Amino acid sequence: MEGDARCFCVALVTSSLVNPPVGGLDALAVLQEKDWGVVQLPASDYPDDVAALLLEEVAEQTEEFARNGYRLAILGARAGLAEALESRGIPPLPQLDPSTDDELREFLADGRE
Amino acid sequence: MPGVAFVAHCLLNQNAKVDGGARTAGIYSPLVEDLRARGWRIEQMPCPELAFTGLHRFWAVKEQLDTPAFRRHCRRIARAVASAMEVHAERGDDLVLVGLEGSPSMGVCVTSSDPEIGGRPTWPDGGTELAAGKGIYIEELEAELRERGFSLPPAMGVSHQLPDHDPAAERATLAELLGG
Repeated sequence: MEGDARCFCVALVTSSLVNPPVGGLDALAVLQEKDWGVVQLPASDYPDDVAALLLEEVAEQTEEFARNGYRLAILGARAGLAEALESRGIPPLPQLDPSTDDELREFLADGRE
Repeated sequence: MPGVAFVAHCLLNQNAKVDGGARTAGIYSPLVEDLRARGWRIEQMPCPELAFTGLHRFWAVKEQLDTPAFRRHCRRIARAVASAMEVHAERGDDLVLVGLEGSPSMGVCVTSSDPEIGGRPTWPDGGTELAAGKGIYIEELEAELRERGFSLPPAMGVSHQLPDHDPAAERATLAELLGG
């Protein structure tokens, strides 16, 4: 392994935080500032059958990060995510539904700084 | 809302890259910032290679990945993504796709191809594996959409893996894709 610029930290992020409303919390800016990558969770406006297909892919990709020791966390809440992760044997992950930039910064930095 | 951009996984997560390929810590910001500044909704597609060949995979050309099993894997992902695209299409949303040029899976106009590559890997810098064409996942997504009566949305690829990468040209291409 030659290494590169990756941060080895991956957040599973609700679509509403990836695509916030005008004036909403800019989670991507904070995640970039704190050097985290993003796995986007299915948007809440997708039908359940579509979301289930996407959650299956999220869980499979998260499993690969988990088994390689990447730091993982969940931002926001997504119905069906816990079951999808559990089906892959992924233990419960630290989770935050952030309301402010500072709260998110503190959560992402916890244990790193 | 201007529309929905389905983007390559690694635009938001460089951790998914093959070892040695991550250009930033996490988010590849230039295009993400442009998409958001123009009001486009971002939808991240799964990385076809991450779960199939893993985080320890070698750099590979298309011929090495082009197996029935990988095609089935890509088609499964494509079904999920196409289902989401279909939701937006039925709503009348504009769609664009941002892949990854030079990728054997996510290339839109440039993939990696060399039928002679195989066995013990040797990857001299400046190799000639780049070739015109789509990656396997993009081909499977196009096929899945075609079966549903849709065509691939207007698309481009991030070019930061190409030797002649020009960030300004890349952003201009995105601006053109997004309609100026």
